[in-house]
Amino acid sequence: MPLSHPVRFALYLTAVIAVTLIHDPRVLLLVLAGLLLLSGSGRPALLLRAGRPVLWILLLLSSGILFMGWLTGQPVLGALLLINLRVVVLALLTAWMVRDVDLDLALARWPRARRWLVIVRGQVQLFRRLAQDYRCAQKSRTVVAPTLHQRYLGSAAIGLAALDKGVHNAEMVTQAMRSRGALHD
Amino acid sequence: MHIPDGLISPQTYLPALAVAVPLWWWAARAFTRQVGDEALPRLAVFTALAFVLSSLMLPLPGGTSGHAIGVGLLALVFGPWVAFLAYTLVLVLQALVMGAGGITALPVNALAMGFIGAWTAYLLFHLLRHVQADFAVLAAVFISILFSALLVALVLGLQPLIAQGPDGSPRFFPFGWSVTLPAILLPHLFIGLAEAALTLLIWRHARRRCWIPATSGREI
Repeated sequence: MPLSHPVRFALYLTAVIAVTLIHDPRVLLLVLAGLLLLSGSGRPALLLRAGRPVLWILLLLSSGILFMGWLTGQPVLGALLLINLRVVVLALLTAWMVRDVDLDLALARWPRARRWLVIVRGQVQLFRRLAQDYRCAQKSRTVVAPTLHQRYLGSAAIGLAALDKGVHNAEMVTQAMRSRGALHD
Repeated sequence: MHIPDGLISPQTYLPALAVAVPLWWWAARAFTRQVGDEALPRLAVFTALAFVLSSLMLPLPGGTSGHAIGVGLLALVFGPWVAFLAYTLVLVLQALVMGAGGITALPVNALAMGFIGAWTAYLLFHLLRHVQADFAVLAAVFISILFSALLVALVLGLQPLIAQGPDGSPRFFPFGWSVTLPAILLPHLFIGLAEAALTLLIWRHARRRCWIPATSGREI
């Protein structure tokens, strides 16, 4: 029987805390293997999604640990493996949760939080789309690349216009929700 | 300056959670009192703006990342409690959508950036606004970012002292304050200046549009 979304979300939270209590790299390696096995199809995409945000931080941390080990002459392999594996396991858990848990359903008991989440997500998409539109429009209008000063001025103008548009759109959404009785909780 | 999951020990994030939960509860009460349905769209837009600002990240050697925050702007427009709650939502979304920050690091990130950042910006602005309003915005945002960065650097640098294996090897973040303080604070001097200028631009726009209520304590 498939688990409900609130239960999946609760399991994710429990697993995240449990992983921070494991300090043996071999156990973490087993957990990583288990997660990859259980996560079903689309494992490479999931691993990529999990690895991308933490890659640079792990590279910087690992080089720092290796450098410190070289300076002090102490073995650092255990700490290196432990920290890297833990961060990757936690990132993989989060990526899996994002893929397989519908947060709208998981937050069904908290309608205000759910509504806020929906509006903010909508606005984030709107800002991204406006920024993309602006970049494309500017590229198509100019033969040479704009100077830094022009880019700053253009970004400020589009940013404030996006803010106005965002507020207007969000007000429209709220009015639509109110007219459908969604704000009477 | 997000701390990712896996670098903070339970000795740190569990007490931070115990501090953050009552503050979130109190902030939720303030939110219900202060934010009516008519202000919710504006809050959502500013929350989204904070999300976009803090999504442009640069990894720093101190085990965290450098980016604008946007919480100062939220605090100046909506007050510190609402800003704290809104920024917590930004952090949750970033953890879940982009994998930046994380669930175990959430209480520390929320307290450092959301709570300390919002309250520092709010209090400094109200302290300095009688001198000159624009200067007050710039100073409040700049110093609030430095305070948040300082707290993140202190928490990260504490990890090797409180979470070690039997052989003394670090179990979580491995570097002490001699690394974290300069690695995190120095880049945030520049980030703070840029964000202060950006906040001033948007704050002036918000004031022109009358989005900052004239009757509340949040106006100039």
